[in-house]
Amino acid sequence: MTTGSVPKRFSIPIGPQHPALKEPGHFDFSVDGEVVTGATVRLGYAHRGIEKAAENQNWVQNLYLLERICGICSHIHATAYCLGVEKLADVEAPPRAQAIRVLIAELERVHSHLLWLGVTAHEAGFDTLFMYSWRDRETVMDILESLTGNRVNYSANMLGGVKFDVTDDNRKAIERGVNFLETRTRHYLNVVTTDQVFVQRTRGVGVITREQAEQLGVIGPTARASGVLRDVRVEAPYAAYRDIPVQPVIETAGDLEARFVVRLKELFESYRLIRVILEQMPPGDLNVRMPRRPKAGEAISRVEAPRGELFYFIKSNGADNPERVKVRTPTLCNMASVLVTAVGQQLADVPMILAGIDPCFSCNDRAVTISKAGDATSAVWSWQQLRQYSQAYYRRRL
Amino acid sequence: MNAPTGLGALVSLLIFPGGLFVLANGLVFEWIDRKLIARLQNRIGPRWYQPLADIIKLLAKEEVVPERADPRLFFALPIVALAGVLTAALYLPIAGRFVFSFPGDLIVTVYMLSLLTLCTGLAGANTRNRFALVGATRTLTQLFSYEVPFFLAMLGPAAVAGSWQIADIMAHNSQQWLLFIQPIGFVVALIGLMGKLEMRPFDAPEAETEIVAGALTEYSGRGLALFYLGRNVELIGGLTLVATFYLGGIHNVLDYFLKTGALLIVLASLQTLMTRLRIDQTVGLWWRVGALLALAQWLVLIVIGEVAL
Amino acid sequence: MTTEDRLRQAQEALSPWAQEADAPEPVRLDIVLDRSHLPSAVAALMNIRWGYLVAITGLDLGAEAKQYEVLYHFGSGAALLTLRVRIAHADSVVPSITGIIPAASVAERELSEMFGIRVIGLLDQSRLFLPDDWPDGVYPLRKDAVLEK
Repeated sequence: MTTGSVPKRFSIPIGPQHPALKEPGHFDFSVDGEVVTGATVRLGYAHRGIEKAAENQNWVQNLYLLERICGICSHIHATAYCLGVEKLADVEAPPRAQAIRVLIAELERVHSHLLWLGVTAHEAGFDTLFMYSWRDRETVMDILESLTGNRVNYSANMLGGVKFDVTDDNRKAIERGVNFLETRTRHYLNVVTTDQVFVQRTRGVGVITREQAEQLGVIGPTARASGVLRDVRVEAPYAAYRDIPVQPVIETAGDLEARFVVRLKELFESYRLIRVILEQMPPGDLNVRMPRRPKAGEAISRVEAPRGELFYFIKSNGADNPERVKVRTPTLCNMASVLVTAVGQQLADVPMILAGIDPCFSCNDRAVTISKAGDATSAVWSWQQLRQYSQAYYRRRL
Repeated sequence: MNAPTGLGALVSLLIFPGGLFVLANGLVFEWIDRKLIARLQNRIGPRWYQPLADIIKLLAKEEVVPERADPRLFFALPIVALAGVLTAALYLPIAGRFVFSFPGDLIVTVYMLSLLTLCTGLAGANTRNRFALVGATRTLTQLFSYEVPFFLAMLGPAAVAGSWQIADIMAHNSQQWLLFIQPIGFVVALIGLMGKLEMRPFDAPEAETEIVAGALTEYSGRGLALFYLGRNVELIGGLTLVATFYLGGIHNVLDYFLKTGALLIVLASLQTLMTRLRIDQTVGLWWRVGALLALAQWLVLIVIGEVAL
Repeated sequence: MTTEDRLRQAQEALSPWAQEADAPEPVRLDIVLDRSHLPSAVAALMNIRWGYLVAITGLDLGAEAKQYEVLYHFGSGAALLTLRVRIAHADSVVPSITGIIPAASVAERELSEMFGIRVIGLLDQSRLFLPDDWPDGVYPLRKDAVLEK
């Protein structure tokens, strides 16, 4: 080996394309043998310019745009936006709509947590758990599909209410599915806390202490696994959570095992909430009339996404389009904790630590309306041009 | 057992029981392994010809030599690896027939079976890819951890038979199954085989969520196909060795398929139950538990030997 | 501690620097600060362990006002405190709060690359979201950003 070309720091790149990541992100871990000594992150590979694009769409169009920020927690983005805009317009969605919003949000949480369970088990090399948890996740995907017609991007929200009602048939299907999932979740909780080999990979690994969690501003299940209660549903209830209190799930160990336990125990809470909502579904309308333009002003809307607190800042100047929509997703807050906790850990644990916060890069990366299209001149295309191109493209294919 | 000569030798070497038969058998066993794991994981799994299709596809593909790798070593290593394990198979009662046998062939066989791991490690170091380098380090680290307990577990039956020749040991054991007499040795041998084959939970050297494909990250085309074939032959060789020593020996083709097949099913089931161990955990497990267990088995053998005398 | 208590506590802690205070919603408190006071105000909040940094929002107030506004949102339970700092387009500089809250680094990097607001004292100024070949001097979330060719 020539001396000149040997880097002093041996670094392992993870991403942008890497088997450990289901979405693009770039992490650079410098290692000494098998021990990580430093970490840096570069995001933005899934940057689609949504914050900027939101300024150029009208209020209703934005609902569809923002729902597409994330494929996993799509409903919660739309809910946050709707709650914010409704606040601006001084309109409140009817109780039944609020209940349905929460119902779908909890079903989404179930699907997201089961997905996370599988992905993180896969990072640890426990593919059996991965396969089984994803099989069971199909139950909740089917429920969501039967409710809304879609497996992802349910498009259940509209400004001023929801689009879909929950029928008796739906109710029965949900109850059946939830009962099945509850027994399965109990089994998984048993597996992740008692399987000796698996526990070796999770117990005491990637510990975020309570002090660190507070200092790093960690949120969501990651914070709750470190003994910090940060759950918007509990602290600042919104929609139907105001009538149906949520029991927070807290663990204190702060390691990977605690993150597994917190998320799995939250599933039980979600099942309970789903049952309570179905039982106490208020009668009435599904939506109310919204003004086309909300009044000028600012609204902040915070909701609890499966990954933690989702924050929307919406500013209106009374026009057709919003003046500014700021989205702060939970992953951004938790990302710093990965970089801090990875140092000093074994390289083999890094994918699990990374997955432990349930990162969502699509959520994380948003703004900028330009995309570089892959044409020969590599010119920067405008939104309009892109739209025209895509329409022409599909017309050609038809 | 006399070594075959002339045309018989050529057939034994190239077609049955060495050469083609071992390769084909390896592909079938790979399929059984993959299919079983898939079914146990609630997946559909590959079709029966998938391993063969993989090999054909790889053989047809371009082999890309990485820039700073030594091309001679790059091409030679997979060939040496496959040749090593194929040679080892000749000294084993594959399908109930020894091709060659001489006093001391146990040592040669066990080391020939390790050649693949060694070549994998060297191949990783040669390609100078970061993932391959970490993978190579892990492969070789793991080699040094499971090899001693595995060897000790192989020596147990040899000590009872008082011979270093596989055929002698088998003849000595064919009356009783050593599985029941030396259970600890059997467990260590079987788990050691999983380590040798880099099966879960010992697949840290090729942990795809950290280091992509480990030492073989830069390999494509023919080289990769040869390494895959080598691994399959090693699977056959390892299973045969364990069955020969602990399951009362292999006496005919049916016996062969029944015993190695049963062991394969055990291995596949174990793999689905396990989480990947970190490399430090693997090393710790082998030296703290594996080696001690194998030594304990030895102690038992020595004590029994003294008492019996 | 009730939400009102929390907000009162925050208001008291920030009173030396607050230029204006406003409560747009019962659970919210907006406090306008001069940018030079920002680090001391944030440090005061952290000293009394008041909540955590939720987000940093940049706003372009447009061609007439010729101002940016940077909003530092802090949350504690249901209480939501916003520190508002106004800076002129011509002098778009804010001090970094990473000395007090290290985790603010990502949010400040986002702010500086999206608005071209210089964050003094931010150690890592490299790009976080925008592509490597993004043209220098183009800040997409500015209202006057020319993004179309």
